[in-house]
Amino acid sequence: NLNVPKARNRKIQMGEFKVHRIRFFDYMPSAIRAMAFSTRTERLALARADGALEIFNFSDNYFQEKVLPGHDGRAVEALCWVGPRLFSAGLNGEITEYDLENLRPRYTVDAYGGPIWTIGVNSQGTLLAVGCEDGTVKMFEVLKERIQFQRNLDRQRGRIISLSWHPSGTLIAAGMMDMIRIFDAETGRATHRLVVDRGAGASKSKEVVVWSIAFLSDYTIISSDSAGKVQIWDGLNGTLIRTHLITKWDVLALSVSQDESSLVAGTSEGTVVQFQFLSSTVDRLDKDWVRTRTFKNHSHDVRALAHTETAVVSGGMDTQLVVRPLLDKVEKNTRESAIRKVSFPHRSLVCCAKKAGVLLFQFPDHLELWRLGESDGYGKPGGSLPVKRGPEKLIQLKRKGEDHICCSALSPCGGWLAYSTVTSFRLYRLLNGSISICKVSKLPKDLRPAHQLCFSTDSSKLFASSSNSSVVVVALNEPECKYLGTLKAKYGCRQPVHLLSASENGKWLATANTDCEVHVYNLDKLKLHCTVPVYGSCPTAMAIHPTTSNLVVVHADQQIFEYSLVKKEYTEWSRRLQKQGLHSLWLERDTPITHVTFNPKNPAHIIVQDLFMFCIIDKSLPLPEAKNVLYNQMTLRSLPEPDRVLHSHGFKICKDFQHLLCVSLLEDHSLVVVERPLLDIVSQLPAPVRQKKFAT
Amino acid sequence: MQGGGRVRSRSLSVTMRRSAMTLQNNMAKNQRGEAAPSSRMTGRERQMGGFSLLLESSDDEGPEEVTFEDSKADARRSMKRALDTARREKELLKEKRRKRQELFQEQKKRKLLSAEVLEEIDSTKQEQSHVKAEEEAEPEEVEGRKRNWKQNAARNLKGNYTVTTVKQSTLASSQLKAAEDFLHSRMYGPGSRRTTSNEMLSLENKMGKNKSAAVQFVKKNWACQKKAKAEKLKKTWIHMQQIPSS
Repeated sequence: NLNVPKARNRKIQMGEFKVHRIRFFDYMPSAIRAMAFSTRTERLALARADGALEIFNFSDNYFQEKVLPGHDGRAVEALCWVGPRLFSAGLNGEITEYDLENLRPRYTVDAYGGPIWTIGVNSQGTLLAVGCEDGTVKMFEVLKERIQFQRNLDRQRGRIISLSWHPSGTLIAAGMMDMIRIFDAETGRATHRLVVDRGAGASKSKEVVVWSIAFLSDYTIISSDSAGKVQIWDGLNGTLIRTHLITKWDVLALSVSQDESSLVAGTSEGTVVQFQFLSSTVDRLDKDWVRTRTFKNHSHDVRALAHTETAVVSGGMDTQLVVRPLLDKVEKNTRESAIRKVSFPHRSLVCCAKKAGVLLFQFPDHLELWRLGESDGYGKPGGSLPVKRGPEKLIQLKRKGEDHICCSALSPCGGWLAYSTVTSFRLYRLLNGSISICKVSKLPKDLRPAHQLCFSTDSSKLFASSSNSSVVVVALNEPECKYLGTLKAKYGCRQPVHLLSASENGKWLATANTDCEVHVYNLDKLKLHCTVPVYGSCPTAMAIHPTTSNLVVVHADQQIFEYSLVKKEYTEWSRRLQKQGLHSLWLERDTPITHVTFNPKNPAHIIVQDLFMFCIIDKSLPLPEAKNVLYNQMTLRSLPEPDRVLHSHGFKICKDFQHLLCVSLLEDHSLVVVERPLLDIVSQLPAPVRQKKFAT
Repeated sequence: MQGGGRVRSRSLSVTMRRSAMTLQNNMAKNQRGEAAPSSRMTGRERQMGGFSLLLESSDDEGPEEVTFEDSKADARRSMKRALDTARREKELLKEKRRKRQELFQEQKKRKLLSAEVLEEIDSTKQEQSHVKAEEEAEPEEVEGRKRNWKQNAARNLKGNYTVTTVKQSTLASSQLKAAEDFLHSRMYGPGSRRTTSNEMLSLENKMGKNKSAAVQFVKKNWACQKKAKAEKLKKTWIHMQQIPSS
């Protein structure tokens, strides 16, 4: 049967490490469906096709702060911020408000209008309007703890695909099939009907869909449709001012800047076209919407756009989030002006059982357990080693229910497996070398759905993060697990814990939450031991050194801190690093460190990994100065042995493997490198548009 | 002179008979609802004129004497016959229609019966709690429900049970599917002018800085099954080529 995919697991010799190079994690991200930017909180909310929601902190190096797992059938079509509250509406006909502190939906309200295509809030934040399949625009009052249906506007014949409030809150423009309707928000009457032209030629017979619409304060309406046009209308008279044909395919998204001087339109070709409200003459009297820039940052349809003050954020079917700073708003050739692409999650989806040589891969709907291959023999650095036994998939565990998997963990011995969704928690016992699996049914009541899971190094305890930054500790036993206690953070911590790290000696547990608070607990006493001084950027990875009990924390702005848990102060090396400052190239890296681990053979080593590199930080070597070359491993290899010592510094970076999802060190001192080449993802994306290029 | 008069009277009577018949035909046609085209009559008259001429020339026998009364009775008889056939046909149609209507009524009555069962069940559902009744209330088969109802007649009528559907909110999920289908057809349906990832990546390879082959040849594991199939075909072809030569 030729359906078995060939698992690529090559072992290569790298320096003193044998490397398991793994490419059989078939991680496939989901398409971006909608996004909404909150200027107040500088947060971008993103909805994916599988119902997952992600929150990015734009003021903290675009770190992916929170991830709310998806749900079968949620089919989010639109997102909307109402102050600090986040609402979504989807094709399942429901409006959902999310609890961003507990990373789950707070409640859902059925709109009873069929699938909902669009949602919009008025500028006062009091009324939420949704456009439904049955042709109604439904108004909901935004109350303190919930929303309440107020009334329907005049029902139309045809679905409401898009809508936009006029900033005054008195009018609503709704994009439908073949037309745009303007409603009086107070009376509910449809006052104007703007007819949108269909496309030319073959498209004449198909209805034109007004995918997106924007209502400006000067009563101008901007619409984008499936015929590839961006049209400017006079909203008071109901007349067409101008038509811009920007593509042969659909224009799926529009976003207007806060000051209404610039707008961007996203097309099915993957281009984002910018229009600016400029005057052709110097005296700035006759301003008009003029097409200015075109960005081609996507290979597939752009379905969601957000226009922030300084950048254009786009996302679509190619699953990548692109932030394009506008060069008239930021300084050129600085870190701020560089384009940012987020293609992979900012958290680890791979768990490595160091003692057992088993890997756990987390997918939204199932988990996979793989055993690593084996190889004998030694080879030259960089060469491949012969594989004695290939890697094998041991278990594929499908989740129960409709909620997607939030987090998962594998015990280092490979004997316990746990995963959590927003509604349920499951623990499994793996036997016979992780081949057979059986569910542990008797779980303590306090073990509720968790945001993060971690096993202790001796596989005797399980730590599950809970609400209010607390952690539940459970002793692993068959047939029944015993609840040991709850580690509570200091009062007032409301944000969810997204990092958990247990020390190897079983004495300490470190937690980090999205409020940048790092707490360390003493596990013998089950009490809070200390709180690391808060640093302005969110921690992205951390680990406790096995022998020195130093906590190493890496932050979203690429800073590294080392904190001694015994002395409750920063270590000398950390202070030295802060004083000298990190190398500028290190700070300019645009992907966060997602994994920190240590080398048992060398206590001075810290191994960190981000998407494009992994680095062995040697604390015994001097720190790189600003004038040094940071990525110097290749050059060092070419130098004779004595010269190497002179030129080397403590940051040994290896960029041979990309895109890295996990780098871990096994007990037998071989390195496990899990890669997911971007090409493998792109090859499985849905069909892009057919562009005719010359000479092809 | 007599022959001439005779012929005249014959031809006259023939003419009269023909015209009477035509008149009656047209009357009957009128009764049946058909228009009596005047043009036809004139045509007939012309024909009659022609006919009488023919008779004159070919007839050697003596003319038959047909009285006006006879022809009148004849005409009346044929008219009656025509009316009778029309009436009989109408009655036959009526019968058919009546029979069909009865059949429909019967079928409807059969359907109504099961609705009655539902109404009775509905009205008495508050009275008793019945686990078995809940299982029976699956909307699977009408026949099954009827049978069970007949078996547990008295108990079920007073039963307190709820009628539940097999899957919750199927309307919402079907609407969701319809909406997703609409979206898919607009973006990927006919007229969307799309290509494949293979082509897009291969074009990038061709037009990029470092030119290389189409992506299915560059990536080893692209379209494994197709490649394996191609290999197999190649082997069989080579094998077949070798057989005749060996």
